[in-house]
Amino acid sequence: MGIVLLISENEELINHYKNLLDKKPNKYTACCNDTSILDLIEVEPPDIFILDESITTINCDFTIKKIKSRLENAQIILITDGQETKQDYNKYINGYINTEFPDELITSIINSHLKTKEKLELLSGKNKDLADSLYRLNVLYSTSSQFAGTLNTKELLTYMTEGLDKSLSFDLTCTISFGFENEPVLLINSLYDISEELMSALKLRAILNYKSLFENSKPPFDINDKELKIIKNIKNPNTKFNFTIFQYDNMFAPIDLGDNFFGCIEIFKEKPFTTDDATYFQTIVQQVSLPLKSAGLYKEIIEKNEELEKLERVKSEFISIVSHELRTPLTPIKNALSILSSGRCGILGESAQKFIDMAKRNVENLTNIINDILDINKIEAGKMDFNYRLMNIHSVIENVRSNFDCVAKENEITFNTQEQENLPEIYADSQRLGQVLTNLVSNAIKFTPKGKQITIKSELKNSTDIGYNKHFETELNNLSGNYIVVSVIDEGIGIKEENLLKAFDKFTQIENSLSRKVGGTGLGLPIAKQLIKAHKGTIWCDSEENKGSSFYFALPISSECKECQTIQKELL
Amino acid sequence: MKKILIVDDEQDIVESLKFVLENYDYTCYCAYNGEDGLKLAREIVPDLIILDVMMPRINGFKISRLLKFDAKYKNIPILMVTARSQEEDKLIGEETGADEYITKPFDLDDVVKIVKKYLEKEN
Repeated sequence: MGIVLLISENEELINHYKNLLDKKPNKYTACCNDTSILDLIEVEPPDIFILDESITTINCDFTIKKIKSRLENAQIILITDGQETKQDYNKYINGYINTEFPDELITSIINSHLKTKEKLELLSGKNKDLADSLYRLNVLYSTSSQFAGTLNTKELLTYMTEGLDKSLSFDLTCTISFGFENEPVLLINSLYDISEELMSALKLRAILNYKSLFENSKPPFDINDKELKIIKNIKNPNTKFNFTIFQYDNMFAPIDLGDNFFGCIEIFKEKPFTTDDATYFQTIVQQVSLPLKSAGLYKEIIEKNEELEKLERVKSEFISIVSHELRTPLTPIKNALSILSSGRCGILGESAQKFIDMAKRNVENLTNIINDILDINKIEAGKMDFNYRLMNIHSVIENVRSNFDCVAKENEITFNTQEQENLPEIYADSQRLGQVLTNLVSNAIKFTPKGKQITIKSELKNSTDIGYNKHFETELNNLSGNYIVVSVIDEGIGIKEENLLKAFDKFTQIENSLSRKVGGTGLGLPIAKQLIKAHKGTIWCDSEENKGSSFYFALPISSECKECQTIQKELL
Repeated sequence: MKKILIVDDEQDIVESLKFVLENYDYTCYCAYNGEDGLKLAREIVPDLIILDVMMPRINGFKISRLLKFDAKYKNIPILMVTARSQEEDKLIGEETGADEYITKPFDLDDVVKIVKKYLEKEN
């Protein structure tokens, strides 16, 4: 059925067309002023407008533009007297009827335009559906991207609600969620404000809905309507919903993934939902479940991590306290032994002296062990203080060499130094570097048999010819520019290849049987590694079993090391 | 005879120090807590003080500060004995005015060396 509107003031013409058109399936109206045309467009939009060009009561140009702006697909046919006219509105005209045309022609023109109109409507309807689907697909796509981008439960639920709002334009959603602080929360997203009475009704309804999901089993959480926390998000707080909301169309779904239950959601809308709406609703609610599970796991990891950090702190404090408590009783033991062996309490017999020396030696060992444990503990807690000064590595090497000269002689080990002359100065803590070198040399002495030799070398090297060792590839590749490389080379028992990296691990001693023979905490190398790291340098080693080991550390030259210069500036 | 004041809450440490230092003909006075130590220092005005850091009531750093900022006592050399404990770390950075530091467990010979350095300067 088509609706035809004739716009004319010519009574004769109106009656003539009435005879032609006013029979089923068409509906025919006629009018001749602007206001009634606009009213008609609102109330009963015509499919075809037939405009008598000779009309004087209206402005043709204005009327045509008005019609086209309101009814894009409406057909406009102009009745002309056959004279050619050049009017601005001609481009909007779909057809012409000459007053001289026979009736059959007029009818067929009108009918064909009616058909055109019908097809156009269909087409634009399909177009609109297509655009609508495309929009919703876009919403789905962006919502799922948002889901993928966060591990925060609250954000995930916000994205879910936003996605539902964009694709379904709901009036109200009620979500029960368990993701917040391990207690159930009722999230209300609403177009308008909600009175207290309505809120309690919604709360009860949400709880009933939730319980209905677990008819045959026990719900994962007990929800009490008095304790259920509510988070409200109201779009227009100036208007209020009333109880008619319960007459709105609604959908309900659990938010779950296999055995994991995260909550449930009910959505209300005044206009009825379509099947498509139901599909979008299900899709979005299902999509949020997987990231919600990840978010839960992520939260667990964070909590576990915090626990571990706390344990680490407690451990570190424990070590510090114990070490301190060990130091105090060691002092009088050491003092007593020293007094006894000084002969102030009478001259000791040879064997008594031997045992006193034994006790003294072991007190010394124990002291070193406690110092090592305290050092590694301090470094790990980031509490080690460094006293950086511009210094020459030569003084450090000389110091360590003279300290070990005696021990080397006792063990019948030849002790050499090979130092490159005029090495540039470096920015470093000489005491800490001395500690590193002492650790390396005392290890070398421990593992080198009688008659062999130990060499300390120092040289200036570019990172490109520092050497290659596949076990320390990453560390060595990070070096760039010039470095002072200090090497401690021994002819000892060496380290098996698979143990090279382990050498710098905390509390690792290669081959337990061996360590028992030579003693020590196994902390010397880890401490050395940390101290060198603090100097922006690198420590590594080469070794061949039964031939010997070489330990190296490379320190950046302060003029080339930006970080060193920063420290330098801060100190000045 | 030069007077040395030893302040430490560990009696064994005080005793061994006293034994050795008396062997070198120093007169030793002993206190076993910070309060007594401070009182004794003001009373006898010793030539040198050996002072433990962590002690009940008044810690060694505080005593050192009180004496070093007092014109009457500021010239007394103070040898501070530390155990490198965490509580001490928290106090580090405070001005103490101590002249020497020595870490537990220390070597008696080292203590004697330091004491001699300060007390036999004029000789």
